[in-house]
Amino acid sequence: MTQFNLARFGTLIAFVVLCIGFSIAAPQAFASQANVFNLLQQMATLSIVATAATLVMTIGEFDLSVGFAASLAGVISFVLFGLGYDPLLAVPAALASGIIGGAANGLLVARFGIPSFVATLALGTILSGLAFGLSGGGSLFKAVPEGFKSLGRGELLGIPVLAFWIVGVLGVAAFVLSQTEFGRRLRAIGGNRQAAQLAGLPVMRDIIVTFAIAGGLAALAGVLLGARLGSVQHTMGEPLLLPAYAAVFIGTTASPTGSPSVAGTLLGVAITGVLANGMTILGVDPFIQKMLTGVIIIIAVLFRRIGRVQ
Amino acid sequence: MLALTGIAKRFGATNALGGVSFSLAGGEICGLVGHNGAGKSTLIKVIAGAITPDAGSISVGGAALVRHTPADAYRAGIRVIHQDAPLVPEFDTIENCFLGRPYPRRAGMVDRAAMRTAIASIAAEIAPGLPLDRPVAFLRPAEKQFVRLLRAIADEGRILVLDEPTAALPAEDAHRFFDVLLRLKARGTGIVFVSHRLDEVAAISDRAVVLRDGLVVSELSGAGLSVDRLITEMGGELIAGEHHSAVAADASIMLAVDNLVTGELTAPASLAVRTGEVVALYGLSGSGRSSLLDALWGAAPIRSGSVTLAGQPFAPGNPRRAVAAGVSYVPADRHRTGLFAGHDLVFNKTLPLLSAYRRHRLLPLPNPTAEQADFLVAAERVQMAYRGPGQLAGTLSGGNQQKLLFSRWANRHSRLMLLDEPTEGVDVMAKKTIKDIIRAIAADGNAVLVSTSDREEALELGDRVVVFRDGAIVDDIPRTAATAAALSAAAQAKRQSAS
Repeated sequence: MTQFNLARFGTLIAFVVLCIGFSIAAPQAFASQANVFNLLQQMATLSIVATAATLVMTIGEFDLSVGFAASLAGVISFVLFGLGYDPLLAVPAALASGIIGGAANGLLVARFGIPSFVATLALGTILSGLAFGLSGGGSLFKAVPEGFKSLGRGELLGIPVLAFWIVGVLGVAAFVLSQTEFGRRLRAIGGNRQAAQLAGLPVMRDIIVTFAIAGGLAALAGVLLGARLGSVQHTMGEPLLLPAYAAVFIGTTASPTGSPSVAGTLLGVAITGVLANGMTILGVDPFIQKMLTGVIIIIAVLFRRIGRVQ
Repeated sequence: MLALTGIAKRFGATNALGGVSFSLAGGEICGLVGHNGAGKSTLIKVIAGAITPDAGSISVGGAALVRHTPADAYRAGIRVIHQDAPLVPEFDTIENCFLGRPYPRRAGMVDRAAMRTAIASIAAEIAPGLPLDRPVAFLRPAEKQFVRLLRAIADEGRILVLDEPTAALPAEDAHRFFDVLLRLKARGTGIVFVSHRLDEVAAISDRAVVLRDGLVVSELSGAGLSVDRLITEMGGELIAGEHHSAVAADASIMLAVDNLVTGELTAPASLAVRTGEVVALYGLSGSGRSSLLDALWGAAPIRSGSVTLAGQPFAPGNPRRAVAAGVSYVPADRHRTGLFAGHDLVFNKTLPLLSAYRRHRLLPLPNPTAEQADFLVAAERVQMAYRGPGQLAGTLSGGNQQKLLFSRWANRHSRLMLLDEPTEGVDVMAKKTIKDIIRAIAADGNAVLVSTSDREEALELGDRVVVFRDGAIVDDIPRTAATAAALSAAAQAKRQSAS
């Protein structure tokens, strides 16, 4: 039992150790308020995309379109700014693109039985092409309203705005998954889809809704990224995909049954974020950073497996 | 060729095998029959080396074995073939036959031609016409069985134990399958044929060994080997256990099924069940009894016919509507279709009726306190043994897992209870408890349908036994007139040949 718990909290312990280690190695640079704020801002979009991935993995599926959906949403909002539309219209339109794309993913998976890996990769490619076409292939940065930029920049009560987005989105997602009937059904579907179906759960509808929410969250991440950077490109969301899933997998090691959870995912985002940030501060070569991140994912999951066997 | 002497095995309080001797000659087909729990599976596992007997000796080819592990059994040429033994669907017959064996090589490359030659010569002998170069995913169920046999023979199998090999085969394919067995026999292969299909056992076997309660009760051969004799020998005395019928003489009809056609139930089926009545649906697997439950639960579409529940037309279409109409259901195969093994007991119990536990009528937020309270009551009612409500369902014993599935419906008043193989893979004590629970459910004002392949269970539980065969209801026997032999005879009558 003790080994079980050690394995379970190993990831959390590793995170704490990393933070302490970096604080000692670079007290001024790492543990400063400015750097923590910077870290939070960097984590925000990734944590939202990773939350989308968490929801979809809860029902036992994959969504590989989240990065593409984020790009498309960012592009749509900026194209609409260019056409003189208000953010009050542009942002909902961008979010809608993600929700519609996600619902289409869900339909392909739940109604037509296409493996989610294939369906979301194909649909994501379509979204990517759409973003390419709408953006014309270059960066969009003109006619961006200041009010829009404030969604992703600046501070509120002395804390970066994006930190509130993390708390808000992840808090709601965690609540939905753990406290609501819908969340309970998602966990049942992920646990044993056939049993869920036979127990009378609306499995097909729930799968479609889950993918739609994931698409919407990915779009939100794209919009926030655009707001923070003040510009968008049609490929800007793609680098989010793999780190998002890495975070979810690291997070599963913190659950007693190895299932995805929002809290675990946040831990995964934090650990990879801190690692990258700390190593950059210490001047570690980017290529070594990348390799170390991969090694850490393997160690985390391996550690957990060994713990479970015992 | 194979000789087992005085094999005994106990599991806890159950005497699975009480001193069984069994022998098999080369070129012999020996049927092995007996009811569920008679000891067939244990005996097969002993032969396969998967179970070490408490007493007795095993010899293969005249040489006594000191140890008999699965590896020893394999070396001795023993191959147990289960009806659903895995094949790689993308591989063709030849590749499947070479699974797990060294490939012939030429110049370091896999020598496909040599593989083909090796398999084709055996295939030509035992299963001519079997496609060798098509992915087995495209083969018919019977042909997949041929592949399994071929693989065992190609892999130097000399003693084949076939576990229910024809259960999934239509009649004409079963005949082709027997042709293959006869050719194997001619090659000198020893075959143990384990089956519930007594007509097939009688037709194909040189000799049949009948097990009952862990003992060999008789060996039949030649003219003495007939379906009737097998049924008689298998039956033994039936304990006429006390039977409290809950059906009031004037009880109203709760469920009326009129000319229903669905799934494997291909002939229109009609059936009426009264409030408080337990009707056992008895038949072999695939006979249509489970399809009837699936349709009533809304898990399978009704092709034609109609159903009324408490006088109202009832066509659920999906399980949610069935639940809302007061239907409860415990599926067969709890691991695959019932349990959420990685979730806790409360999660498993409340899931189908989750909206009954809301904090507020309009908010879909389950109230864990209410859930847990109901769980505790339900667990008590079904006499579940568990460590705590937070225990994972996968860690319960089989009997308690089954009780957990029953507990889902224990706190509400339902009208129709559908039970599919409710005591499958459950120990004796749990079986008794579950039977008591089923009686209590009936007495509580339910019509109860119990689908079962266990004849004793059908007789013990059912106020009536409805017998299914080949997709049709063939008999409807009141308990007072039901005998073991009558049930078996009705369920076993010769399969219609399609040719």
